[in-house]
Amino acid sequence: MRNRKNILDLIKERVVILDGAMGSLLINQGLQIGIPPESWNVSNSELIQKIHLDYYNAGSDVVLTNTFGGSRLKLSAHNHGESVEEYNTKAVEIAREICPEDGYIAGDIGPSGKFLPPVGKVTIDDFEETFLEQTKILANAEVDFFFIETMVDLKEAEAAVKAAKKVSNLSVFTSITYKKTKRGYFTIMGNSVEQCVTTLHKAGADVIGANCTLSSNEMIDLIPQIRQFTDLPIVAKPNAGKPQLIGGKTEYLTSPKDFAEDIFQMVEKKAAIVGGCCGTNPRFIEKIVQRVKR
Amino acid sequence: MVEKVDLDTKSKVAILNGNVSLAEEIAKKAILENYDINALIDTLSAAIREAGDLFEEGEFFLPELMRSAEAMKVAMGILTPTLSQEKESRFIGKVVIGTIEGDIHDIGKTLVASMLSAEGFEVYDLGADVPVESFIDKAVEVDAHLICVSALLTTTMVGQKKLIDTLKERNIREKFKVLLGGAPVSKRWVEEIGADGTAESAISAVKLAKKLMVL
Repeated sequence: MRNRKNILDLIKERVVILDGAMGSLLINQGLQIGIPPESWNVSNSELIQKIHLDYYNAGSDVVLTNTFGGSRLKLSAHNHGESVEEYNTKAVEIAREICPEDGYIAGDIGPSGKFLPPVGKVTIDDFEETFLEQTKILANAEVDFFFIETMVDLKEAEAAVKAAKKVSNLSVFTSITYKKTKRGYFTIMGNSVEQCVTTLHKAGADVIGANCTLSSNEMIDLIPQIRQFTDLPIVAKPNAGKPQLIGGKTEYLTSPKDFAEDIFQMVEKKAAIVGGCCGTNPRFIEKIVQRVKR
Repeated sequence: MVEKVDLDTKSKVAILNGNVSLAEEIAKKAILENYDINALIDTLSAAIREAGDLFEEGEFFLPELMRSAEAMKVAMGILTPTLSQEKESRFIGKVVIGTIEGDIHDIGKTLVASMLSAEGFEVYDLGADVPVESFIDKAVEVDAHLICVSALLTTTMVGQKKLIDTLKERNIREKFKVLLGGAPVSKRWVEEIGADGTAESAISAVKLAKKLMVL
């Protein structure tokens, strides 16, 4: 057992830096369509490990395990449902091997890819079952805390938080994906910032925030809105702009420098945990560290 | 006349509230009591377009839109068979639609499919994760006018290019109009791969599809 501060105590002392993207880096490394990124925890573990290490070296306090799509519901969509335990356990192991003394490993949990009626056909029970299984495996593999992210349906996020709280005493970070409409920030399911924050708070989340879809400059105004409804620490993990396909390659056009400047603005508005989502890489984290420490 | 206005209001309410049973009731009543079916479909279509506009405005979200589309589908399922009986078909054209291979996102695609079918297209929805060959084989089989291909990931967008390239290889590119869908799809991408168009929303997709049918 490593002897470090609880992550929530560290948050009280200073801004905590997360990592950046995983999926978009794997695609650049040749991950093929239809192959779940989590399968690389087993078949290409050195590469995953190298990415984690690059993030720690860039200044990340925390890396997120490569388990975003590691729930049974999600893996089953790719016919990898039988590998839930193997992929999730291995993900934590490979991160553990290179984790520095003062580093943290967060068990990453993304959406199941399934929807409640009327959009889809699954039930809340299905969500709970899939997240109970995944969080239990991650807790047994000894992650430091959970990071539930990219949730577009508050009900699914709530089910995931409750599952994570049920299986262990670990802290639960919860991050919602909002889109910016003419009426403000909402999930695609129509959940408002207030609904999301108050519901997740009640469900037992320890940290609440937002990630994905919004570019860094679009996320700045969201932070005070979240703050309005909670005193919990806020996490912000925006995208490096909108993805564009240029000459057959996916490009995110926000520069690490501009991104870091936006992140700094969010820190000024009391975001306590920051990092990057799609299109970011270790260079973004370096810039964030420089800007936040300056 | 009072009844007609009443039915119009009710139809609109049924669609905008996504009330499936009310939509069903209205459709059945209209047939039983010999209403002008085409006029009713126009009203329903206007309502579903309004639902789409409300979505654009941030007033409606996915659940509301899906419920509206479902109510529309139920009403149309009852109304359209009577149209062909009367040889008064609103048929516009045939569409093969799906989400490309490797991509399991199918909400947007399903929505466009419902809207197209509501507007009078004969829609063959192949679902998600559809191989290029399946799109083409189906389009050839049913002699489709349009092929609509959705891709929600920049990594699966290449499948849209593959579809166009395969059509060219098989010398049947000119037989079909190809529309691209999906959040990351841009006008630039459409031009780059030589597709026939893309639209920002399900509503504008339908408008574009209708426009292309006239060409």
